[in-house]
Amino acid sequence: MKPDDVANAITQALVQGGSQWLVASLVAFLPAMWTMALILHIGRPYVVRTLRRCGLRLGADVWWMSYLLMRDGVLLATLGMSLIFFAPALVANSAFPITGPLATLCLLLALAVKLSRRVDDDVAAFRLATVFLVAGATLYYLPQVFAVEAASQEHLSWLVNNLTSNSNPTLALAIMWVSLAGAALIAAWIFFRALASVNRKMTSRLSRTADIVQPRKRAALS
Amino acid sequence: MSPQDLANAIVNGINAGGEQFLEGTLAAALPVIWLALLGLHLGRPYILDMIDRFTLRLGADMLWLVYVAIRDLLIVSGVVMSFMYFFPDVVISDQLPLTGGLAAAALFGVLLIKLVSDPDHDPRAFRIVTYLLGLGALLYFIPYLFGVQAAGVVTGTFATLSDFMVTSSNPFWAVGLAYVSIALIAIMGAAAVAYTLRTGGRADLAESESEDVAAAPQP
Repeated sequence: MKPDDVANAITQALVQGGSQWLVASLVAFLPAMWTMALILHIGRPYVVRTLRRCGLRLGADVWWMSYLLMRDGVLLATLGMSLIFFAPALVANSAFPITGPLATLCLLLALAVKLSRRVDDDVAAFRLATVFLVAGATLYYLPQVFAVEAASQEHLSWLVNNLTSNSNPTLALAIMWVSLAGAALIAAWIFFRALASVNRKMTSRLSRTADIVQPRKRAALS
Repeated sequence: MSPQDLANAIVNGINAGGEQFLEGTLAAALPVIWLALLGLHLGRPYILDMIDRFTLRLGADMLWLVYVAIRDLLIVSGVVMSFMYFFPDVVISDQLPLTGGLAAAALFGVLLIKLVSDPDHDPRAFRIVTYLLGLGALLYFIPYLFGVQAAGVVTGTFATLSDFMVTSSNPFWAVGLAYVSIALIAIMGAAAVAYTLRTGGRADLAESESEDVAAAPQP
């Protein structure tokens, strides 16, 4: 090999290795993100109990605001990081949990419930969001622990071969496309719902403002 | 060796080295997390003494909330960072404390107790939390000090004992204990989810039941 070949090899390695390292880091952090998201969501009774001990409104507000920001921020970050499960090339070539896209779909459903209903005031909505989150976490953890991270275990070889995306690319891609279609439907529903809600709220606000302003104008003119 | 072979070797080196570096960093940070959370839990009387000296309610509330937030976030971080103990491949390839997974399960048990009861106001729950934290610390620090850290120093019988306490030199027990830890976490996780579903996220069961009755259609 000439020096140019070595330089090219190192350049290629840095480019390819860098992108693989980024993907691998996201995959490595996802179990932590899912665990954090679940703990923060399920730990709500404890947070509410602590909140009630606050004697002052300021402390209670700061506590509740910090909790909400962390809980929902972690959920959004987990969703953002999970988008790698919708990249066909990565799904077919990297060792991902085969039901990772379905887990992401469940996470999106939980977020959709949060967007459309008042999860913190409505017990049924909270339960629904919890069910989606737990289902998503289970779909993520099981293949991650017993397939992706268990390649060395011979007695788990069936799981390793069938539940890792690059060992079973046909099924992995099928699951990915179905989940992607589901995610697109939910995203479209959220989009149009937000649009309708803005129109409705703005119209009612504008008419309310007009009701208040116009009599004053008339009174001022007369 | 072709340039592509060299590129592949470097890519594999970067990935494998990066993964081991990340896991090694987590393993190195965990003893600090354990010490900090133990210190904060055992230092509760000191914090309560300080709160009594405040003349303003605002300062007392803030100190208590900051204390609770740091203490509990450290426990959550400990559980999250211990996740690598549940991965058979990681446990086999890295030098980790043998009972680290059980320590993580003890830490998760603390979170469960905090969820279903109120250790800051119920002495019995506080004692259970203290026992679990003590047990978890023992399960973490004994194999960490006498296994992982002493592996290169001790000889003879101590070397055998030391090797036994390190996951990479004792893969059979390491993987077995990883499965036991996963089962414990799964059972406790299911209990936590069941409790939260029953309460609907409210502070206690009675409150959620009263909201269920109010939400039910009236005849």
